[in-house]
Amino acid sequence: MSSIIEPKQFQLPRIFPRPMSHSGIWWWLGTVDHKKIGTMYGIVSFFWFIMGGIEALLIRLQLSHAEADIISPELYNQLFTMHGTTMVFLVVMPLSAAFFNWLVPLQIGARDVAFPRLNALSLWVFIFGSILMNISWFTGEAPNGGWFGYPPNSTVQFNPGNGMTFWILGLNVLGVASIAAGLNFIVTIINMRAPGMTMMRMPVFTWMTLITSILIVLALPVLGVAGIQMTGDRVYGTNFFNSEAGGDPIFWQHIFWLFGHPEVYILILPAMGIVSEILPTFARKPLFGYTFIIFSGILIGFMGWFVWSHHMFTVGLGPAANTAFTLSTMLIAIPTGVKIFNWLATLWGGSIKLTTAMLFSIGFIAMFTIGGLSGVTHAISPSDAQQQDTYYVVAHFHYVLFGGAIFAIFGGIYFWWPKFTGYFLNEKLGVLNFIIMMIGFNLQFAPMHWLGLDGMPRRIYTYAENMGWELSNLAATIGGFLIALSVLIFLVNVFISRINKKLASGDPWDARTLEWSISSPPPHYNFVEIPQVEHIDDWWYKKYPGLLEGSPKQNKSPIATVEDTSNVDESKIHLPDLSYYPLFVGIGLSLAALGVIYTYALVTIGLILVFWGSIGWSTEPVNEPHEKHH
Amino acid sequence: MFSNRIRLIFNMTLLMLLSFALMSCTPENPQSTFDAQGPISEIQKNLFLFTFWIAVIVFIVVEGAIIFVTFKYRRKNDDLPVQIHGNLKLEITWTIIPAIIIVIIAIPTVFGIWETQVMPDEEDAIIIDAVGHQWWFEFKYPSEEIVTANELHLPEDKNVIVNIESQDVLHSFWIPKIAGKVDMVPTHENKLWFRADNPGVYYGQCAEFCGIVHAMMRFRVIVHTAEDYQRWTEDMRTPPKSLSSGSDEDEGRKLFVGNCSMCHTNDSYKKAAYHKEINSQYNRWEEWKKDKENSAIVSAPNLTHFGNRLTLGAGIKENNYENLVKWIENPDSIKIGTRMKNHASIYNTDKKLTDQEIQQIAKYLLSLKPENETMATYNKE
Repeated sequence: MSSIIEPKQFQLPRIFPRPMSHSGIWWWLGTVDHKKIGTMYGIVSFFWFIMGGIEALLIRLQLSHAEADIISPELYNQLFTMHGTTMVFLVVMPLSAAFFNWLVPLQIGARDVAFPRLNALSLWVFIFGSILMNISWFTGEAPNGGWFGYPPNSTVQFNPGNGMTFWILGLNVLGVASIAAGLNFIVTIINMRAPGMTMMRMPVFTWMTLITSILIVLALPVLGVAGIQMTGDRVYGTNFFNSEAGGDPIFWQHIFWLFGHPEVYILILPAMGIVSEILPTFARKPLFGYTFIIFSGILIGFMGWFVWSHHMFTVGLGPAANTAFTLSTMLIAIPTGVKIFNWLATLWGGSIKLTTAMLFSIGFIAMFTIGGLSGVTHAISPSDAQQQDTYYVVAHFHYVLFGGAIFAIFGGIYFWWPKFTGYFLNEKLGVLNFIIMMIGFNLQFAPMHWLGLDGMPRRIYTYAENMGWELSNLAATIGGFLIALSVLIFLVNVFISRINKKLASGDPWDARTLEWSISSPPPHYNFVEIPQVEHIDDWWYKKYPGLLEGSPKQNKSPIATVEDTSNVDESKIHLPDLSYYPLFVGIGLSLAALGVIYTYALVTIGLILVFWGSIGWSTEPVNEPHEKHH
Repeated sequence: MFSNRIRLIFNMTLLMLLSFALMSCTPENPQSTFDAQGPISEIQKNLFLFTFWIAVIVFIVVEGAIIFVTFKYRRKNDDLPVQIHGNLKLEITWTIIPAIIIVIIAIPTVFGIWETQVMPDEEDAIIIDAVGHQWWFEFKYPSEEIVTANELHLPEDKNVIVNIESQDVLHSFWIPKIAGKVDMVPTHENKLWFRADNPGVYYGQCAEFCGIVHAMMRFRVIVHTAEDYQRWTEDMRTPPKSLSSGSDEDEGRKLFVGNCSMCHTNDSYKKAAYHKEINSQYNRWEEWKKDKENSAIVSAPNLTHFGNRLTLGAGIKENNYENLVKWIENPDSIKIGTRMKNHASIYNTDKKLTDQEIQQIAKYLLSLKPENETMATYNKE
């Protein structure tokens, strides 16, 4: 197909030759392969997970006893600001993106995403954006206005210095990465499904990716608007949120939460997708009520737009607004509850194997339920006036985002690790990882419920001795270190499993979706032949066709086997060549943003990189015409 | 092997639940929301508990089901289980059940919203203006023409309407035992109403992140009997005890006038002092805005009858001689980041105070109590 490219088409003269070799550093820097990009997303965001975790541990140390003097108030404010920002934007979102990248093309039977170079751009913009935001630690003025950045405390009038400017520019840059990735996955899922895979035959994870991507494409621009306004306020003297000049700080809250609440579902829907793949696999039963799960996912994503002001029940919007947002928030409990019951019904009557991935998934249901129930108590706006900005809220959203998203992501890592790498993670260490994380998590966050109800506000770096908060805080700190231990066990597991490779077949778990129909790790072209899809869980029914007629007991051994790649004529499979342009655009964007803080010289250099990269990118052929395919 | 693991997980969970029970909420804690001392916090507590017990039932059902299926349906052999794709009736049932629960919760909630947020009759209430400052609370009683800071005095069994605003950044006004919080917003005035049922000292704390010492922005609420409250208002209009010239207190007074009175007013007991204080506070704010780095003038708490205050530093330390000396010597030793430390000339120019001078100021401030004090009950904690 490379002959389609006209040889005389205009091409921006190259300064560096196009990387062609499939080895070495350029293979990674220039890659457009969704699997490699997914791996890099995973590694980088896991690094930030550890950084965000260290920030959390320092916070917990300072709060371990009353009137502690371990961390200064200024540093404390920086730590909780960056802990929140890191965990939301640099951990849960990109870790989900790692799974999107790895799994979506494999699950829909495609060779790659729709726009491979745009995909690489998302990755590099994310990586350099995350670095941009964290450079501020080294300049000594890390962001200190909270991950929510409420003005006027985040305005330059009350918060001079570059901290919050780094923060808002970092968010602006990261937003570009997310929006590009969101568009990419929408187009991929809509257009690149294997023949026969109708929308209602798609794996649930792919469905949740689609809903999440739509939310990203709609919600991140909202943050982008707020971000540009705040950048204007902080750098160019505009007055959108500057109350001293008549700007409206509440305006920010509306925009931020109009983004922020859909963002919550951006964080949790991929986790729900992961769990919906793992549970049926290890229960050896189809997901109970596939259609209900899909539609409740859509409903959650849709209703997520009508609840933002429940973050603002104490702002003074009046009883009418509070009533409306109380009711809309309560409604979300219904589709969420439906999902939980459907997962339970999936397990009911199954043949359950408690692998690490399964333990994490069941742990997810158990913990997410607690977070969901405390969420309902928040929806009651009169009693929320007692809970808003207390540790009760901290407990709630950690049950949802840690007990929910992070548990599911760990489950997903254990589940798909053999697919990604070709070998298993150690199950014994995995179970230990799960048990310690479960105990540590509950020890850390359960006491925060009563701390909040006992009147402990959030974001305080110290508290008095006579408040009755010491025991719970100490428990929480111990729990935090137990979580750290469990993450350490995970890292040891990765290390040990890499040395003592226990090889995995293409379908080691007897799983259900297309990614398990090919070898592990998948070849770079994914599928030798694009599969023809006839059912939900198509691979499962290819293995056990008798199930379609009922009477399962006669179908003990699978019929179909994973694709054999030993005799593949790769010259018939066309994949795009490497490209360094996405990398340069990514670097350019972050340099330009950094220049907004320091000097226009950097802005200029950054923008030159962006323009050069974009034009080079758009004029470079997908494949170099003269190059023979390997 | 797996059943051992499950047992371990189960035992651990039980152990954790037990240890949590030991730490559970205690109404005696000074900011516990379970010890409701007024109708607003009572409504809020009851709504929470109502929802909580429903949640407990759902919790037991769901978590019980999780434990049950995990035990019951563990893999015993390689046989494939019966392949069930769904059951429309069941699914509709468990869509409707949460919907019914939501309706049951929603009805009292909506009543609760209007009950707590619709203001009572102003004629019959005490009206107070509460202003948030970085990092202290200013309280004004317009009809009584009283100004004070970090200590809110109220009569029992009387409706209170608080006009809530902020001078600088967002804060939140919160007295956990009496009323849930309402944010203090510059450019928007909010209203909160409540009633305190019993005399006593209650804790309040800022609940919206407001900068470096957000953690140390607290206040006390002192609820009096109706007669005591009346006496307090009279006391606030009575001059302080006169000082014999040459005494430490009198020397302290002179030092205070020379070094502190640019920002701190302490004579709001005088006639017409109320409007003067409002103007001065406004002017201090304008002055500070002109040069936030170096302004020698900043907004500061009114210190009228400071000797009767329970705490210093906005609810941080007990108000006694020792703490006050420490505070004046170096506010950072008690509360980092105060405007006083960053702007007052005694810390930032050559005009440093000697130890003796600090002690004299402290003695003077503690002597600021109404002459012929009519009551002594309200400052006993």
